[in-house]
Amino acid sequence: MNKDSFLKQFDNLPEHFAIQAEARAALHNGLNFPTTKNERWKYTRVNTIIDATYAQNQMELSDIDSFKIHKDWKYLTFINGMFSEQWSDQVPDGVEFSSLSNISDSDKGTVLSKMGTLFNLKQDAFPSLNMAYFLDGAYIKVKRNARIETSIVILNISLGESQAINARNLIHVEQGAEVKFVHQFEGQGNAGAFTNSVCEIFVDDNAKADYYLIEDEGSETSAITNTNVSQKKDSRFTIVTVTKSGKLIRNNIHLSITEPGCESNMMGVYFTDGNQHVDNQTYADHQDHGCNSNELYKGVMADRSTGVFNGKIMVHKAAQQTNAFQSNQNILLSDKATINTKPELEIYADDVKCSHGCTIGQLDEEAMFYLQSRGLGKEAAHRLLVQAFAQDVIDTIDLVELKEDVEEFIDSKFS
Amino acid sequence: MSEYLTIKNLRASIEGNKILKGINLEVKPGEVHAIMGPNGSGKSTLSSVLAGRDDYEVEADEVTFLGKDLLEMEPEERSREGLFLAFQYPVEIPGVSNINFLKAAINAKRHHHGLDDISAKDFMTMVKEKQAMVELKSNLANRSVNEGFSGGEKKRNEIFQMAMLEPKLGILDETDSGLDIDALKIVSNGVNKLRSEDRSFIVITHYQRLLEYIVPDYVHVLFEGRIVKSGGKELALELEEKGYDWIKEEVEA
Repeated sequence: MNKDSFLKQFDNLPEHFAIQAEARAALHNGLNFPTTKNERWKYTRVNTIIDATYAQNQMELSDIDSFKIHKDWKYLTFINGMFSEQWSDQVPDGVEFSSLSNISDSDKGTVLSKMGTLFNLKQDAFPSLNMAYFLDGAYIKVKRNARIETSIVILNISLGESQAINARNLIHVEQGAEVKFVHQFEGQGNAGAFTNSVCEIFVDDNAKADYYLIEDEGSETSAITNTNVSQKKDSRFTIVTVTKSGKLIRNNIHLSITEPGCESNMMGVYFTDGNQHVDNQTYADHQDHGCNSNELYKGVMADRSTGVFNGKIMVHKAAQQTNAFQSNQNILLSDKATINTKPELEIYADDVKCSHGCTIGQLDEEAMFYLQSRGLGKEAAHRLLVQAFAQDVIDTIDLVELKEDVEEFIDSKFS
Repeated sequence: MSEYLTIKNLRASIEGNKILKGINLEVKPGEVHAIMGPNGSGKSTLSSVLAGRDDYEVEADEVTFLGKDLLEMEPEERSREGLFLAFQYPVEIPGVSNINFLKAAINAKRHHHGLDDISAKDFMTMVKEKQAMVELKSNLANRSVNEGFSGGEKKRNEIFQMAMLEPKLGILDETDSGLDIDALKIVSNGVNKLRSEDRSFIVITHYQRLLEYIVPDYVHVLFEGRIVKSGGKELALELEEKGYDWIKEEVEA
């Protein structure tokens, strides 16, 4: 891995915030990209990402409709990481938005007080890389007690070959507010592209936020997403990750559950084929008492694709009366597909209910035969069983149009 | 074409073990054939082979269904052509709704015969009617396939599916096993309502009891992979009275 020549490609990019210079310095000095010797990167090699050559081009989009899951949602569109006013909507009442490259002086203070605080920039190379070189991003604030009826979509579109994109977003859901976000990654003609995303989400007291991460940049793009969330008292946060495509995908999700009474849900589905590699890393950090976290990831893996799941539940001493559940279930459709799954529990409190588990199996042959004996073709039977397997994760998507989109995706993927 | 099903010298083995050793059978339209036999005689293998389960090595001089080579067909083609197997152990499929699955099955069959999808209205009318026929509670039809169903509900669901798919030949694989008399009556009633001059049945059972309710035209005794005795419905009574030992002695003599 040649870190220096990798970084050199980005060093002439502009800086918007002083903290970016710090991150650059850290990367140039002791901070290295993880190797497989690092436990949490044991099964995911990032060499191909670091050793590649990238461009950073401004691209024009001719039409956005094909990327939209539902046209009535409010879209904030970023093309190769840069905000596109042309393809974006006005945010609804109760929501404030500004792009990070064009932030007002009054917001700048708030952004700076939060940005980077959920990461350890001295340790995490990819979040630091993002911090060092991001060009733009969204700052979204959902105002106190606002109930936002329409979903807000952060649409990141990657256009052109070998683009390196550091997408960055900061979301603040104020006390008592309710909102649903769709963070959608799309791509077009983007062989060799690499997206490195950071999204920091602050959910205040009694607020409720759903966040749907939809990854579909195409089979030739690699992506590392870093989603770090801080939850305050009595808040509810749900993240559902749907990986539709990607060459190498690594999703890091870190939930800091800092105060009592929180509910947290981490759900995910991945469907892989070819030589795809999808790695989901989750961390539920229970710091205070009386919180519930629920986690369910399901994968269907074909061909020579490989998957990784590593979920950790940490229950600190103060986190009594924690209920934390985690499950990862996989179906391998071929002899050559691989999944490395590792559920972890670390508990320091003595009055908790926690469980974790994982399964790896094949499609039930008896069920296949049963369906076929009723006249369903092999493909249809296959599709029905995959759909059924993923259904309980899909059912946690609380947006009808998105749920249908994912169901249609499975339909077309397996026919 | 006079026969629905013609089987000549059907042999099947699994991992080198010969299970069916030369079955011959002819089923004409509207006929009900009962196949009885002791455990391990090959009854369930016969039904599995006819439905197309691929665990077996199968050879035969001829197996023809409605004039077509049955063994050449995939399980789904057999079904679309009009063969239905009511499973001895219906499979639970969590997450697949009974109704959606049935609709897909009916449409697959319709497409096979050059027809369009069934209309939502026709489908629901049909569901209601057939459900009533097997006294299946409507909430069962809306649940996942067989998930959490009792033994009796699973068997009724099999007959419900058969009624929906309107086969030419229904094979009941030990549908009576594990059923109490009430459930047996309901299931048998359902089958009897489906009997018609252009629908045949093969009723596979260990017990004569079922044949009091579904009265067969012919009874065959399967023993060690062969049909060793055939007769009318009275043969079932004879078996009930004398047990299978009588057959064993006759064969070995």
